[in-house]
Amino acid sequence: MSATTATIAPDRILKELAALWTQEGKQGDAGVLRACSMTLVVIAEAADDEAAVAETVAALMPEHPARAILIRLQGAGERSLTERVYQQCWKPFGQRQQICCEQIELTASDAALADLPSVILPLAIADLPVMLWCRSPRLTGLPEFAQIAALANKVIVDSSAFPDSADAVAGMAAAVGRGTVLGDLAWTRLTRWRETLARVFENPDYLARLPEITSIRVEHGPDHEISAWYLAAWAANALGTVGGAVTPVIGPQHASLRMELAGSSFRVELSRQQDRLVTVINEQSNCTHLPAPSDYLLMREELSRVGRDRIFEQALASAARIAVSSSSEPQ
Amino acid sequence: MPTDNPFQDPLRFERQVPPCAIVIFGANGDLTKRKLLPALYRLAYDRRLASGFAVIGISRTPLTDDQFREKMRDSVEQFSEDTKLDEEVWADFARGLSYVAGDIGDPALYKNLADKLAQVEAERHTGGNALFYLSTQPSQYAPIAHGIGAAGLGKGNGWRRLVVEKPFGHDLSSARELSDRLHEVFEESDVYRIDHYLGKETVQNILAFRFGNGIFEPLWNRRYVNHVQITGAEAIGVEGRGAYYQEAGALDDMIQNHLLQVLATIAMEPSASFQATSVRDERSKLLRSIRPMTSAEVLENTVAGQYGAARIGGEDVPGFRQEQGVDPKSRTNTYAAVAFFVDNWRWAGVPFYVRTGKRLPKRVTEIAIQFNTAPLHLFNQDSGDAGVNLLILRIQPEEGISLKFLSKRPGSGMTLRPVSMDFNYGSSFGERSPSAYETLLLDAIIGDPTLYTRQDMVEASWSVVEPIQNTWKETETDFPNYAAGSWGPAAADAMLARRGHVWRKP
Repeated sequence: MSATTATIAPDRILKELAALWTQEGKQGDAGVLRACSMTLVVIAEAADDEAAVAETVAALMPEHPARAILIRLQGAGERSLTERVYQQCWKPFGQRQQICCEQIELTASDAALADLPSVILPLAIADLPVMLWCRSPRLTGLPEFAQIAALANKVIVDSSAFPDSADAVAGMAAAVGRGTVLGDLAWTRLTRWRETLARVFENPDYLARLPEITSIRVEHGPDHEISAWYLAAWAANALGTVGGAVTPVIGPQHASLRMELAGSSFRVELSRQQDRLVTVINEQSNCTHLPAPSDYLLMREELSRVGRDRIFEQALASAARIAVSSSSEPQ
Repeated sequence: MPTDNPFQDPLRFERQVPPCAIVIFGANGDLTKRKLLPALYRLAYDRRLASGFAVIGISRTPLTDDQFREKMRDSVEQFSEDTKLDEEVWADFARGLSYVAGDIGDPALYKNLADKLAQVEAERHTGGNALFYLSTQPSQYAPIAHGIGAAGLGKGNGWRRLVVEKPFGHDLSSARELSDRLHEVFEESDVYRIDHYLGKETVQNILAFRFGNGIFEPLWNRRYVNHVQITGAEAIGVEGRGAYYQEAGALDDMIQNHLLQVLATIAMEPSASFQATSVRDERSKLLRSIRPMTSAEVLENTVAGQYGAARIGGEDVPGFRQEQGVDPKSRTNTYAAVAFFVDNWRWAGVPFYVRTGKRLPKRVTEIAIQFNTAPLHLFNQDSGDAGVNLLILRIQPEEGISLKFLSKRPGSGMTLRPVSMDFNYGSSFGERSPSAYETLLLDAIIGDPTLYTRQDMVEASWSVVEPIQNTWKETETDFPNYAAGSWGPAAADAMLARRGHVWRKP
């Protein structure tokens, strides 16, 4: 069911949703299951790939059933706010009963951004977390963003899409400092890297050599600056917990991303080579398949965590310091 | 020197799965084909296994590695209910499969196995870790463990673990004897007694439901719970397993292990942590709190049954004594109902009715917690049903939780009727739940025994079941005493009626 109107009345949207459920219940003989674990608010620019975003949200629903509110930003122009209400239904493989999730699509021009909180607030499902996935770096720089973000239990951004890396990291660190629970897909992309490094030190022989490490070096390509800061910050923080104070060195010498932890007679290196993650321990090399994770996989991981992520927050704080020192270094 | 890995992030990283070789004794058997290989393949499909992973199948039938791979491929194709065979994943998985033929009583088998393990360790980098899975007749458990020990395979470069399927003995003394024989080669901490019920998502969810929420636990005691019914019903008969089943029976086959473990999960005290030792300690304490019965109490609080012939859905169904391989005068119980009592402060006086049987009307396993009724009936009640507040935890076939309560019937007047609020575990989260064997195999590889049964738990279970066995052996019951397709003997209804209770019909 869809409806396009000049103004938005949340009450009317809720009534339409209720009508959809009633209608769905009458149609199916197996009944409808209404599953919900959160409200997922997705904000994207009009130019963003609409089909891809919708596909990602639909793919997230089996594990994170939600009322999804998709907001498309129309940019400058006259004040406009429209809505459409519909359901996503599917039958899990091998099961008779179908599951349905609600979706509400809103479009808003910049002039109407200030109205969004008053629309989102009544549409959010009571007593369940509100997760805000902001795909628009532009919006985070607008004054209305703070009010929208304040509605959410967690705000998820992708700092790798931000035009200025240092500003992005500083802004995120400041937001976390103000109490915002934040997720950054640029950090989530590093989970497999971090996991691979952690796995190396599951070997007790290597763990015993951890104090030997005296240098952390991360090299990166033009699109991986924030990832490099995160990796370096995280590794330095982790070594700090076992008494090692190592100042990481970061440089733009690699096409993609490369990290090296080294000491007098021990060296671990991780690097991306096309779709592979290559791990080298001293001279022994191992290679695993590492395709670039899709938005679906990244969001799936981020939505699994509603609360604060201390390891991320500490890495972010350290990354912000690295960013400052990097930008003050002579080029 | 650091003892903890500072790079770990347990909230984000998958559990570390070490490389290992799984040695399956009884690789040609039904369990391997239907459960183990499909579960292992699914784990490989989900990339949950380490790259250094191998399976060595062992059985008497002479087979080449390729023939074994072909057979296992057929099994995966036939028995993987929700996983299609992916050629690329299978090719990678199949490279890790190999086979050793031999007789479990022949020392040469273990010498060949040692050679194969060494070869696999060199080729697949299993790190010397080996999980021995005994998917054989229980009588072969001790000889296999002995063979493994005599060949020096019980210890190696990496860890060595032993997984055994139920039954763990057929009474208390045989269970102790079996444990003693296994302990000659493996430490108790390396013996994993598998009870696949504990690997089921809903059984694990019982712990989440009870100890993750604050609202249920205050009601979870003798003050609010009237009684508990645990049902493990099967619609099928013995399906060609008559000879085996005749030796076991419903009491030993289901109640002694699966259903008592479920009871322990329902009734145990909160553990201090979710560490394996802590959770298993609480389960064990609960099992030891179940009151063993005297002969007189057994006659009062238990009912044995055996199904007779009947016509179900237009089809003639044989009675147990007419099944293939079954003695026409067999006294084996195909149905067992027991009223257990837990002697602790939380549960004193609350009956835990446990029943299981073959050829019951439907296949269902569930736990029903019957709460006490409201002290006063202010309203007209439509159904006259006294057991209105009921919490049902469904284990199979559709895992989920239902809460039954009274609601006003629409319209004028104040008439109440019971309604049910359902949570369907599988479909509420459209994600696939792992099978019990996937969960348990992965736990064994990782070394997490939380969902495995410990020796003291096995012994505690036998301690409460053995008096029932003994009294039943001495008592002549007029079998068959229930028709196939019914909910069991009339005596089972009478047993509950004496306390003013009624069996549910799930």
